[in-house]
Amino acid sequence: MGKALRAMMPSIASVVLALVLSFFIIVSTRGLSDAFNAYLAMLWGSIGDWPKFLSDEGTAAALLRPLGESGTKAALLILTGLSVASAFRVGLFNIGAQGQLLVGAIVAAWLGSALSLPAPIHIAVCVLAASLAGALYALIPALLKVKRGVHEVISTIMLNWVAVRLIENWLLLGPLKATASGDNSISGTAQIHASAELPRLMGDGSRLNLGAVLAVIVAIVFWVFLARTVRGFEWKVVGLAPEAAKSSGLNTSRAIIESMLVAGACAGLAGAVLILGTELKYPATLSGTWGFDGISMALIGQGHPLGVIFSALTFGALTAGGTRMQLFGVHKSFPELIQGIALLLMAARVVWARIFSRRNA
Amino acid sequence: MIDIVLALISSVLDTAPALVFAALGAVLSERAGVVNVGIEGMMRAGAFAAAASALVMPTPIAVLVGIAVGAAVGALQAFLAVTLRSDQVIAGMAINLVMLALGSFLLEAVFDSTNGTPAITQLPKWFSHSPLTWLACVLPFLVHAFLSFTPLGLRWRAVGEKPAAVAAVGIRVSRIRFLAVCASGAFAGLGGAALSTATLDRFEHHMPAGLGFMAVAALVFGRWTPLGAAAAATFFAFGDALRIGLASSWPEVLTVIPQGVLLALPYLLTLVVLSIGKTANQAPAALGTAFDPEVR
Repeated sequence: MGKALRAMMPSIASVVLALVLSFFIIVSTRGLSDAFNAYLAMLWGSIGDWPKFLSDEGTAAALLRPLGESGTKAALLILTGLSVASAFRVGLFNIGAQGQLLVGAIVAAWLGSALSLPAPIHIAVCVLAASLAGALYALIPALLKVKRGVHEVISTIMLNWVAVRLIENWLLLGPLKATASGDNSISGTAQIHASAELPRLMGDGSRLNLGAVLAVIVAIVFWVFLARTVRGFEWKVVGLAPEAAKSSGLNTSRAIIESMLVAGACAGLAGAVLILGTELKYPATLSGTWGFDGISMALIGQGHPLGVIFSALTFGALTAGGTRMQLFGVHKSFPELIQGIALLLMAARVVWARIFSRRNA
Repeated sequence: MIDIVLALISSVLDTAPALVFAALGAVLSERAGVVNVGIEGMMRAGAFAAAASALVMPTPIAVLVGIAVGAAVGALQAFLAVTLRSDQVIAGMAINLVMLALGSFLLEAVFDSTNGTPAITQLPKWFSHSPLTWLACVLPFLVHAFLSFTPLGLRWRAVGEKPAAVAAVGIRVSRIRFLAVCASGAFAGLGGAALSTATLDRFEHHMPAGLGFMAVAALVFGRWTPLGAAAAATFFAFGDALRIGLASSWPEVLTVIPQGVLLALPYLLTLVVLSIGKTANQAPAALGTAFDPEVR
């Protein structure tokens, strides 16, 4: 356990230091008391409003709503984090999780509103189709890499923007546009049917839904796959020593294609969870950068499925709490800043490694 | 007909400079062997800094502030990617994330707005266009001349192709690469400043809205050369002006070709060019690899 803890130290130190640095960024513009109150609001917005719960008129909702919101956001971050982590295994950088997520989301929104099926089957069809769509979208950069030697960073950046433009400036305005009912104008796609909505886990208490369970299951299956199967080991060899893998007869191209298919399926699934769980339709512009956040999750989680779960829980909670910071004049995207600084610090982990190894030497 | 063509050209002259500067910035970094996907974040920093300082000082000086802030963000990325030799793509994405959130935060903290800064005095017009337009016409040739014909330019390209050979003749690879990423940041900062002081008259919350990534597309499309990248950037800007022109004067065309397809075209074309030609082989040989002088 000591070894695992030591491996986690750079991640923990990065996140803690990012929280401290971000605190002083608020202090420098809004003053100490606002910074303190904003952080407190973020804390109660993420782990539950304990002061309100313990006060006289406290109800369970004061705890359940923030906690459920944290879990809802963490589920998406787990899935996109796994998407990036999957490609990392074979040494690829999947910047395209955002595009794959959008493709999965639009497919889920389309099938959710166009089909009418009994509840469990409708959900299964939407979820599987969205994962498949994400996987196929990730197959493009994989094939370009294997067949034409195109660097996946460039191709996935391009494909992200292709997805955004085709969905927001074409599909949502034409083929998949919702037909306006009555005199209220509608943007985005039509609302999905109730049969396609992911069941809520805590009733009306919060938006936490089946997606959170799916995300954890996928993470555990992925972990077992990497740690216990031959194919999982092959991926690792391809990622760490591509030349050795090739000369010992491993099919590196197959490993690259497989890992990108898994990456795309995870991101596509995240898109389905987002639409079927909380959005309930594809809005005119899908806010949130879940796919890009996946990069931070994978890196702060050091590519390990359990690490991804930990970092997703942390940043899911911060993101949920961040909306409450607006009361103190702090933009709701503030947790993204914390996340960005933590990622910068992880990128500088050479320095960390030096500090920690010196202490242990 | 002539009117339409002139209006198109005028529109390109107004919108292209930001993309041209950013694309040149991408060239400067990548020719020295450092992948720069942080252009978007550097542009945002430059756009915000220029607009915010234009409120308290003359706009031309504010543009210089934008350039300086872009270079400072470049220095941060250079510290990560060159000095610490951490992954160049990760460093760039981290820069993007920080700048995206920091821009929104500062907008709210300093100007109490989620939309944009107050209006500023735009740059003056020279011959009915901003001075930056004319700078964007000259700069690609200057960068080309610098990389092709000066001793430093030769070393600049050499550290992107064969850093070990450069180190062997006693030149500090990391110093040139650090300089390259700073210069890249300065150009991207100028591109951002062009957005907020010339194209528009304020910093808006979504700036630069993906233009930094389009600059990377222009870099690849232009095959990693300054003139090629600038031409690609102008071509993309022209395509966009054409799309806007069609939408207003000839909307029937857009029922046949949806706007979304036209908007996706620069990225699709870049993918096609990458996959059919030998473009992938024209990237600098040492692109994306950290140079560790102790490893031979």
